[in-house]
Amino acid sequence: MLQVTINGQSREFPDGYSILQALHRIGIDIPAACFDERLEPFGGCRLCLVAVQGMARPVTACNTPIADGMSIETHAPEIEQERRTLLRLLAQNMPRHSVPAKEFYGCLREYGLESAMHGPAGAVDDSHPYIRVDMSQCIACFRCVRICADVQGQFTWQVWNRGDKTEIRPDSGTTFLESSCVSCGACAHTCPTGALVDKSILTHGIPQKWTKTTCPYCGVGCEMNVGTRDGRIVQIVPVMDAPVNKGHLCVKGRYAYDYVHAEDRATEPMIRTSTGWKVVSWKEAIAATAHGFTQALREYGPGAVGVLGSARATNEENYLAQKLARVVLGTNNVDSCARVCHAPSAAALKMVLGTGAATNSFDDIEQARTILVCGSNTTENHPIVGARIRQHVLRGANLIVIDPRQIELAEIATIHLPVRPGTNIPLFNAMANVIVEERLYDQDFIRARVAGWEDYRRFIQEWTPESVASICGVEADLIRRAARFYATAKPAMSVHGLGITEHSQGTLSVVSLINLALLTGNIGKPGAGVNPLRGQNNVQGAAHMGCEPNHLTGFVPIDAGRELVQTVWQAPVPKYKGLDLMQMMEAAEKGSFEALWVIGYDILLTNPQADRTLEAMRSMKFVVVQDMFMNETAREAHVFLPACSSMEKDGTFMNGERRVQRIRRAMPPIGNSKSDWEIICAVAKAMGHGRHFEFESAEQIWEEIRKVWKVGAGITYARLDHAGIQWPCPTEEHPGTRILHEGAFQTGARAALQRVEHVPSKEMTTDEFPLLLTTGRSLFQFNAGTMTLRTPNVVFQPTDYLDISPDDAGRLGIVGGEMVTLRSRHGAIRITVRLSPAVRPGEAFTTFTMPDVYTNRLTGPEVDEITHTPEYKVTAVRIEKE
Amino acid sequence: MRLVQRIPPEAPIDSFYHHPESNQEMICQGTACFVARGLNPRLWEQACFQEKRVYCLGRCYAAPSRSSDESLPIVEVHSRCAVVMERIGPSYEALWMARSRTPGRIVEDIEASELRGRGGAGFPTGRKWRAVHRQPSHIKYVVANADEGDPGAFIDRIIMEDDPHRLLAGMAIAAYAVGASKGIIYLRAEYTRAHDILQKAINEARVDFEFQIVRGHGSYVCGEETAMLNSIEGKRPEVRTRPPYPTESGLFGRPTLVNNVETFATVPWIIQHGPETYRALGFSKSRGTKLVSLNSLFGRPGLYEIEFGIPVRRICEEIGGGLKNGSLRGVIVGGPLAGIIPPSLLDTPFGFEELQGIGAAVGHGGIVAFDESTSIRELVEHVLSFAAYESCGKCTPCRIGNAALVRSLQDRSLKRSQWDEIISAMARTSLCGLGTGVAEFAQSVSRYYGKELASCFR
Repeated sequence: MLQVTINGQSREFPDGYSILQALHRIGIDIPAACFDERLEPFGGCRLCLVAVQGMARPVTACNTPIADGMSIETHAPEIEQERRTLLRLLAQNMPRHSVPAKEFYGCLREYGLESAMHGPAGAVDDSHPYIRVDMSQCIACFRCVRICADVQGQFTWQVWNRGDKTEIRPDSGTTFLESSCVSCGACAHTCPTGALVDKSILTHGIPQKWTKTTCPYCGVGCEMNVGTRDGRIVQIVPVMDAPVNKGHLCVKGRYAYDYVHAEDRATEPMIRTSTGWKVVSWKEAIAATAHGFTQALREYGPGAVGVLGSARATNEENYLAQKLARVVLGTNNVDSCARVCHAPSAAALKMVLGTGAATNSFDDIEQARTILVCGSNTTENHPIVGARIRQHVLRGANLIVIDPRQIELAEIATIHLPVRPGTNIPLFNAMANVIVEERLYDQDFIRARVAGWEDYRRFIQEWTPESVASICGVEADLIRRAARFYATAKPAMSVHGLGITEHSQGTLSVVSLINLALLTGNIGKPGAGVNPLRGQNNVQGAAHMGCEPNHLTGFVPIDAGRELVQTVWQAPVPKYKGLDLMQMMEAAEKGSFEALWVIGYDILLTNPQADRTLEAMRSMKFVVVQDMFMNETAREAHVFLPACSSMEKDGTFMNGERRVQRIRRAMPPIGNSKSDWEIICAVAKAMGHGRHFEFESAEQIWEEIRKVWKVGAGITYARLDHAGIQWPCPTEEHPGTRILHEGAFQTGARAALQRVEHVPSKEMTTDEFPLLLTTGRSLFQFNAGTMTLRTPNVVFQPTDYLDISPDDAGRLGIVGGEMVTLRSRHGAIRITVRLSPAVRPGEAFTTFTMPDVYTNRLTGPEVDEITHTPEYKVTAVRIEKE
Repeated sequence: MRLVQRIPPEAPIDSFYHHPESNQEMICQGTACFVARGLNPRLWEQACFQEKRVYCLGRCYAAPSRSSDESLPIVEVHSRCAVVMERIGPSYEALWMARSRTPGRIVEDIEASELRGRGGAGFPTGRKWRAVHRQPSHIKYVVANADEGDPGAFIDRIIMEDDPHRLLAGMAIAAYAVGASKGIIYLRAEYTRAHDILQKAINEARVDFEFQIVRGHGSYVCGEETAMLNSIEGKRPEVRTRPPYPTESGLFGRPTLVNNVETFATVPWIIQHGPETYRALGFSKSRGTKLVSLNSLFGRPGLYEIEFGIPVRRICEEIGGGLKNGSLRGVIVGGPLAGIIPPSLLDTPFGFEELQGIGAAVGHGGIVAFDESTSIRELVEHVLSFAAYESCGKCTPCRIGNAALVRSLQDRSLKRSQWDEIISAMARTSLCGLGTGVAEFAQSVSRYYGKELASCFR
């Protein structure tokens, strides 16, 4: 500890603190206009100057480290005078009308200098939907420029000229909207003046109340403070010390919240009658739901009914959804949208390593020397993780990108392997071949922790890079180089997305990726591991809480967990095997599945083969949809139950690195909407199971979860109030687990290498269907656009586009912006073409956001043989000019 | 780890610099040319109408000057012995001598010589070398600051043109002493002849050490060491905050020794003749010799090696031969961003602390005399315009303060008290020597020419 005297008082601080950090720690506030804790000290504004005994001139507190015996004066008269002079200089060029909510104006007010502002008003750039730009209020602290470069890595803001001619401009040279900006909003958040400001606070006023919660979009799990005013969200800002996002957010998390207040938000319970939807009371709606299921159970039995939990709902609610399925409906027919995304990851990781979740954490990114990104457009779909990877690579780490498209990360990658869709297994096998043949494997690790080595070694011999190069569309040399980096520049961490899992061999693709980690010892260590990037806020939690036909809470196989669960529930767990989502749809088509309760999940828009899904839905006798909106699926329902958003309730989400985090109610439910858990409890009671569903709060539900989920038993709401906790966390004293498999695997000392053969997809291109289409999401539109389509994000992406290479467009005589018919063996849609140099000739990409495009009319029936996850990433299509 | 340079787009960074793209003729607007404008009013007028201003071409002995002028100055030794001006040519004897000793010993020798940096601040060179020597990093750099931007100085230019190997030898010795693997010379864009000569010398130097010349693009502030490092890295050349100091985190974040050309050029002599011999030259806390450059208003403009301790009057009158015409109004030593020496204080000995005592500085060693054809108001306007034009814009006092001062000279918008308030803030809170130098200049003017200055205020 260092002894420092501050304003005459002796204090102690740990080594490494700057003076400003020391002052902040003891609650002394001094102006510091160019300081932001997320950035390196800049020392430009000079306002944080303090007097240090023995120094001829004041020093800036932001960059000067404290030293033992230092004596600091923060408000000596001459220092205050100098601050006032500097503030007056800064103020004099600013126009008088300004945004008083920003910190710099508070500073001027404190020094009585508001009247010093007498600069001319400047031109306002109003082009961006979320951020107003008025550079006449700029004080050249460069916080926007620095946060754009050093946190987001985008370099959108540029500094031109020098001296008092210095100007900050977007890189478009024109408007901010036309720039390279990804609308993360960090610049507006850090800007201390009104130069860059969130338009929402100009329109609706500044927040009266802040509520700390967790982002409702992707599975990264960023923590955010939601600012509300008169029951309306007016601003969202990142939590500065959040473990995942560390003071950063993306365009969706920060700005795309208007869906909460959307005009078409469905806030009344409704029942379908012969003349259409009829608004009813909750009592009637609950009764209708109970009646519908009771009747279906009576007529068709528990094998013909099912429940779909929601990746958007909380852990508590998903826990109750599966409990309702099993206890009230007596069925294991319960699933969630994990089925259509990372079920293969969970299955593969569970099978080989013993735990079906990411082995490492996002904090391992900065510890990795090599990062292998597979089938994930990270900067768009998990933007905060994408930004962290980007920063780490810009600072010198190796990056290998395996993706058919030249995605943003590919642009800064050490090696980009543009693999042909559907050929991940040959590619991973070839990398394994190089690692084995060139003896780059980790001998010690294999000896101690790996089984099946000799067998695998023989198997992999024939998988030479040369033998797969033409299958994968990747040069053998590139595969060799990538394998060498992964095996030698260690620790190496893999992160993967749905480009690996949504294939007919999805689970085995993940297994072949795990093989690479086992061969090279990149597991159970910091900066390493195999890490699925979970797509939705709580998709990890939905399946983990038991919305899974074959597993109970904690992803415990039913037979293994039955005894404990039955004891806690005081009710039996059904014996026969449940149906997953895909099987439910098939059964419905065949007439053996009759009643379904769909919670927060638009299956009609997102399931493959939309036309068949529609038929299946229509063939069911009773469908309940519980959602915030009348989505596509709801149009086929018999009862509609209005659920509220995550902003309107309490609970927990589980992010992609196994971290359980609180969500907190920022505002009361809108209209007559209710939390999912309240609705589920009400239906259970109406069906005579009240004693199993006597919960008054989300926390009470969590307490029951702790009883059935041993691995998470140490996680309590009291602990979560401070920070999220990563399971395994078996006791209340346990700190949580950042890295899995450190000394041993869940399954024992060794994990076995698996021989994975390649079975090509049935979706082959032919002369008739010459293009390979992959689908996915984008930065601005999220999955089914239920949320993002109801926000100004539509300014950035108003519709689904078919991205094709300029080469193909040229050959087909198509121009960007042209409307075409896109046809597969399974259906056809009309869609607008966009030319993208990121897409290779012979391939195509689109999102599946828009109900009026309906991309999933094209996708086919193939599914992963193990988990039944649909093969969204490979569809043979052709473009027809209109 | 792969060293990835974050390369931001070029156009915004280019906009920071002002050096013209083509080989077009440049006419100098530096302080020496300004005070000599009466000698060629038409040329001066042309200088003022150039699209991009040029502050100093290093031809102050022929001011007012232009880039096509190929004349060379008088070069003479006026110290007991030639140190920097002892021509060594491509023999790297001093380097071989140095390498026969331990690096630690070389650092000790430089410390014992009491050599101080010749770039302006006069920081003890040995202490700086020790700081880099001490760093554990396996990658270190030495950087020669050849961005001699102070108007009035043509010292480094002539060293590089006359005896380039002296600089290279000094750098190689320094690299050996501190453990650096590469030497970079940051050379200002205006010195085209020096560039060609240096490049040729690098090509013919028979030493196993890598040199690289990085050329500036026109910016005075790039002579500030951290701005220079940013410029070398391809970044916007703003001044960095210190700490961390370049000795710890310099070029590409590696420990870096930055010295100016004359400092490096002194090193071979110290190695060859021993630190005690060097220390015996000079006086007080200013040991050894210094090169000084005299502007065109002197009877004998040129470059002279003198020993510290000699009175300024002797430099001006005996060596420089007094003014050609007119009567002396003051002497600007070490660039315009420092105090002025009025005629009454010419007997002050030439030394770091001695000049500091009268509000002036050794600075870079340029000596610009001015006569009564230049009014104080004109001089103040010239210097402040120069400073405002060259400010990097990072820190508040220099970016806005300079501009406010310049504006007030045009429209008399400031009261004396407001002027003083800004000057004081610049003196105490500026990030680098540009802002503090302006304050030193202004304070000196106010001290010695207060009456004339009064006409500038409301």
